Amino acid sequence: MSAGSTRDTRCTIAARAARELKDGDVVNLGAGIPMLVANYVPDGRDVVIQAENGIVRCGPVSAPGTEEPDRRNAGNLPVELLPGGCYVDSATSFGMIRGGHIDATMIGTLQVDGDGDIANWQMPGRKIGMGGAMDLVAGARRVYVLTEHCAKDGSPKLVERCTLPLTGAGECDVLITERALFRRSPERGFVLEEVARGYALDDIRSATGMRYEVAEDVRLEAYGPAK
Amino acid sequence: MPANKMIPLDEAVARVESGMTLAMGGFLGQGSPLTLIRSLRDGDVEDLTIYANDAGFGDAGIVELIRAGKVRTLYCCHAGYTPAVNEAVERGLVELVWTPQGNLIEMLRCGGAGLGGFLTPTGVGTSVAEGKEHVTVDGKVYFWERAVRVDVALVQAHAGDTLGNLCHRGTARNYNPIVASCADYVIAEVEHVCCPGELDPEKIQTCGVFVDAVVRTTGDNASRHAA
Repeated sequence: MSAGSTRDTRCTIAARAARELKDGDVVNLGAGIPMLVANYVPDGRDVVIQAENGIVRCGPVSAPGTEEPDRRNAGNLPVELLPGGCYVDSATSFGMIRGGHIDATMIGTLQVDGDGDIANWQMPGRKIGMGGAMDLVAGARRVYVLTEHCAKDGSPKLVERCTLPLTGAGECDVLITERALFRRSPERGFVLEEVARGYALDDIRSATGMRYEVAEDVRLEAYGPAK
Repeated sequence: MPANKMIPLDEAVARVESGMTLAMGGFLGQGSPLTLIRSLRDGDVEDLTIYANDAGFGDAGIVELIRAGKVRTLYCCHAGYTPAVNEAVERGLVELVWTPQGNLIEMLRCGGAGLGGFLTPTGVGTSVAEGKEHVTVDGKVYFWERAVRVDVALVQAHAGDTLGNLCHRGTARNYNPIVASCADYVIAEVEHVCCPGELDPEKIQTCGVFVDAVVRTTGDNASRHAA
């Protein structure tokens, strides 16, 4: 099984993550894999997407020819505004984020460790910035980290200790990769609850640097690429 | 007879002096005051400190001031869409001070609202909180972040009247109304200028009380950047 990012792995992660969203949830989806989650929200669930640049009930990317120059998401893509949506200024947007009005945020990462520390904003030699990620992990009620299990070079992204600058300390609640789903509690730390099709418990162990426990009722073949 | 704040572009921009601290509206080009930025780019001032969400998008925005060697320090949360900024940092042309998006906007909001600072949970346990005073309230840890008041603010609006009342469009609202509140001198560039009474008062998002000068958006500087 090749490491790193493929369309399949990204969609597997996004589809599993979408099942975590409840009817009525207000969610913020970060760049990359999290943005794909919107494509997999189960029918009949009203999930409100907030983009931190000040758009609530943010819809899909606009079709060519229908773009509005001043209707964009936090990645600067022209988007639709769904019925009932609105715009807010940035102070209001981040008040919403810190004030507990965002049920879930889903973000990508470079590293995550067993304490729930997240490092996703600064690679050596590349100046990107944290954007709104520090506010989102500190403020959202549930913080999901969605990431390929390993980096492109095959090294674990789920590490014993984050070595890159932190986005948040102890903020990750749920960690979803194309191979496994871990949920973190104050008592036990990360607990492996689900293993994806094509992987065994030993595969997860050998590709995971962070400490975790295995749930008594861990589910094997719990999810995977669409067949 | 109410004051007419409409003045020529060069007269407005002449209020900016070398060594000053500025704040600018705009989010990856959404709502960026490009007429004002380009006027500064082509002028003589230098050694500026700027507070803004980002450095722009592609080759447009604050990145133009950085490439022209006019910016000493940029407080921002993102520079991932302006590769030229990375080069400028490596060459020592500009210093970036990473500031989480929600903290950044709140620093400006507090500065404009007469507050000295605020307690934020965003960034606790990360580099942005290092050396800052921490306070525990009801069991939750925060740190003190300072308010920011600047010499000059540059903002953008889709429509505005000669009293400085402004209507922002779509997500271009995000930084502009807050940035308009935090400066000793505020210049608004407006795409469509009208007379007092012509704007629907229910739709004015930035009150003219905050604005000192109004200039017209000129040339190809309107908010309609391609993605």
